[in-house]
Amino acid sequence: MSRPALPWSRALRTLTLAGMASAVLAWSALAGAETAGDRAVEAAKKYAGKTITIVWEAGLQSLDPQKFSGPLWEKLTGVKVKVIEVPTAEMFTKIMQEYRAGTGAYDALNVIPAWMPDLVQAGALEQLDTYVDKFGFRDELQKIAPTYRDNQMKVNGKIYGFPDDGDVFVMYYRKDIFANAGLKKDFKAKFNYELAPPTTWKQFDEIGNFLTEKLKKEGVYGAAFFREAPYAMFMFEERFRNEGGRFFDANTMKATVNSPIGVKVLTEMRNENRFMPKGVEKFGFVDNLATFLKGESAMTISWPPYGRWAAGYLADEKALDWVPKSKIAGKVGYALPPGGHPELAAGFALSVASTSKQKEVAYLFIQWLNSEEISLQRTELPYSLRDPFRTSHYSAPSYLALWPDAKHYLATLKQASETGLLDLSLIQTDKYEEAIRQGIQRLWAGDDPKAILDEMASQWDAVTQKVGVDRQKAVYAGWAAKSGAYPK
Amino acid sequence: MASRGGTARFADRNFPLLLVAPAILILLLVGVFPLAYLVVASFQGITMTDNDKSFQGLVNYIQLFHDPRLWTSLLHTVLFTAIALPLELLLGLALAQLFLDKMPGRSVFVGLLVLPVVVSPIVAGATWSLLLDNRFGPVNQILGWVFGREMPLLWTINPELVYPAIILAEVWQWTPFMFILLLAALASVDRSQMEAAAIDGAGYWRTFFRIVLPAIWPVMAVAVLIRGLDLFRIFDVVWALTQGGPGMRTETISIFTYIKGFQQFEISYTAAVAFLVILLLSGLVMAALRRVELSR
Repeated sequence: MSRPALPWSRALRTLTLAGMASAVLAWSALAGAETAGDRAVEAAKKYAGKTITIVWEAGLQSLDPQKFSGPLWEKLTGVKVKVIEVPTAEMFTKIMQEYRAGTGAYDALNVIPAWMPDLVQAGALEQLDTYVDKFGFRDELQKIAPTYRDNQMKVNGKIYGFPDDGDVFVMYYRKDIFANAGLKKDFKAKFNYELAPPTTWKQFDEIGNFLTEKLKKEGVYGAAFFREAPYAMFMFEERFRNEGGRFFDANTMKATVNSPIGVKVLTEMRNENRFMPKGVEKFGFVDNLATFLKGESAMTISWPPYGRWAAGYLADEKALDWVPKSKIAGKVGYALPPGGHPELAAGFALSVASTSKQKEVAYLFIQWLNSEEISLQRTELPYSLRDPFRTSHYSAPSYLALWPDAKHYLATLKQASETGLLDLSLIQTDKYEEAIRQGIQRLWAGDDPKAILDEMASQWDAVTQKVGVDRQKAVYAGWAAKSGAYPK
Repeated sequence: MASRGGTARFADRNFPLLLVAPAILILLLVGVFPLAYLVVASFQGITMTDNDKSFQGLVNYIQLFHDPRLWTSLLHTVLFTAIALPLELLLGLALAQLFLDKMPGRSVFVGLLVLPVVVSPIVAGATWSLLLDNRFGPVNQILGWVFGREMPLLWTINPELVYPAIILAEVWQWTPFMFILLLAALASVDRSQMEAAAIDGAGYWRTFFRIVLPAIWPVMAVAVLIRGLDLFRIFDVVWALTQGGPGMRTETISIFTYIKGFQQFEISYTAAVAFLVILLLSGLVMAALRRVELSR
C-alpha cells in the first residue's frame, strides 16, 4: 500500500526528474552528434559570436582555414576564426615569443611535432587529454595512421597535439622515361640490371648519371632535388639513417654523426649534383617543383603535394596559379626513396596555446579540424598542402577518384608512412638542426665532408653539454625507442 | 617675509626643471629602463625552457669569452665595416664632386641616385638576392654576355663570392647617403678660399686637402660615424642574401644575436651579448666624437 507523497517530496521528485531529463537531453544532444566532428560543433555552439585565433603556416597552407575550414566552422557554430599567417621558419619563434609575453593572442596552434618536447618543456602547449575524454575524441585519434599517432601526438605520455599532416618524402619518377625500350636496353648493357626506380643510393647515382648523359641534349636531367639547407637537412637525416648511421652513442650521448657513414652520405650528396641541373645547390621547394613539372628531371624526392600537382589535379584552381602547369600528367610514378625509409619530414600537429583565454573552444575547433570527416575534406583540398594522415584517408573512395593514378599515390604514401623515419627531436632540437643546416651550406660551398661533420659533432656535443648530458640522454632514449627513429 | 621670499626664489629657480621633468622622466623610461632591464637579465639564467630569474653572477659574461662563434661573428662585422665604409665614403665623395657643378639633368640624376637609401634594407637585400640569382638573375646574364659564356655563379653559396655580393648590395644602398651629405658639405665650402688658393698656384689635390677637406671634415666625420654604426649593426642585407652562411662565414654580430635570442631563446646570454655590443659601440662613439671634437 502506498502512502500519499508529501508536498516537499513531490517537489524534490519533480526537480530530480527535471534534472535527469535535462541531463538526458544534454547527453542526447551530444550523443546525437555521432561523430567527433559533430560533437565538437554541438559543444562549440555555446561560444557563438566569439573569435578564436589560430597560427597557421603562411602561404598556400593557410588557405585551408581562410577559404574552407574557417568559414565552414563559423557557419556551423557561429564562432569566427582569425588566421595568423607565419612563415614556417618563424613559427617556433612567434609561438615562443607569444608564450613569453603571455598575452593570450593565440588560441590554437600549428606546431611541427619535432618542436613539441621544447614547447611542452617551456609550458607553451596545453595538455589535451581532459578535453579529448570530455568530448569523446579518443576513438577517432586511434584511427590516425600509426606512425603519426604513436610518434607525433604525445610528450611524456600526454597528448599535446593532434597529428594533422602526413608529411613524408616520396620519390617521383617519369614512368615514360623508365619504360623507354632504348634506354632500358642501353642501361642493362652498361650496368647489368634493369632500369627501374632506384632502391639504393648507388643505383640512384648510376641511373641519374646515365639518364643525364642520355637525355641532357633534350633538356632532361637524371634527377633534381631541393638542396637549400632547410630541405637538404631532412634528406641528410634520412640518408644517414638508411645507411646505418646513428646520431649519438646512446651510452655517452656523444655525437656520432661524424662517422664514416656520415662522410659517405655527404660525399655522395655533393657528387650527385654533377648530374643535376646547374645551380641545384640553390634549389628550394618551388625551383625543384618547377623543374619536375616542366619535365626537366626524371626523378625527384619531395613531400606529397608534388604528386598531386604533377598529376595535374585541379590545375585550374586559382590558388595554384603559381604552380607551373604540369607537362607530365599521367607519366608520373611513385616510389619510396632509395633505402626504403623516407623521412617523415616536418609535418604539422594541431595544439592549443597554454596562454589562450578560450582554450575549450580552441580545442573544439582543432578536434573538428582533425576529425575523420573534416580532415579528409581538408586533405583533398588542392591548395591546403595537408597530406593524408588517417588510415581511412589512404582508402577513401573520394580521394581515390581524384585522378587516375591516385590509387598508387595513396598506396605509396601509406607504405612510406609505415616505414618512415622521424625527424630528430630532442631538447633544443633547433640547435642540432642548425648545425646540420650550416653543414649542408658548407658542403655546397666546397668544404671537406669530414671537417664539416667533425664541426657538426662538436656543436652537437656542446649543445648536449649545455642541456645536460643525462637529461638529454633520457630524452634521446625516449625518441630512439620510437618505431620511426631508426630503420628496424 | 624672508622665508616667503626664499620659497619664491626656490620655486623660480626650479620651475624650469619642473617643466622639463616629465620629458626627462619619459626619456629615462624609454632609454634607461630597457638598458637596466637588459643588464639585469644578463645576470640571470633565462633560457627557452627555464625562466630562472635568480642571480647567476658572471656566468653569461664568462661564456662570452669562451664562445668562438661570437668572436668570429664580431670579426665578420668588423670586416664588413672595414671594407664597405671606405668604399661608400670614397664613392660618395667622388659622386658629390661630380655633381657639385651644374650640369643638365643634375636634379634628376641626384634624385635617382638617392633612391636606394629610401628602400628598406630587407627589400634591398631581397632585390639583390634576385639580381644575383644564379639562373634568372641579370647579373650572371650580363657577365655571360661580357665573357661570352654561361656564368652560373653561385653568389650566395660560393665562399669567394659571398662577401663581394653582400658588400656590393650594401655599398649600392648606402653610398647615396654619403653622397647627399657630402654634396651638401661641398656646396658650403667657401669658394673665395678656393679661388685664392688657385691664384696662389695651389693644384687640385693641394686645394682639396688643405681647404676642402678641413671644411667638410665635421660633416664627413658624422657621416662616417653614422654609417660605421649602421654597418656594425648590419643584418637585413646579409639575412636576405645568405642568412649568415654558407656555414657561418657571413654571420655578423646582429645575426648571431638574433639567432641566439629569437631562435634559440638564450635570453640571458643574448642580453650579455647585447650589453657587450652596447659597450663596444659606446666606446667607439665616444672615441670618435672626442676625435672630431664634437663632444664639447
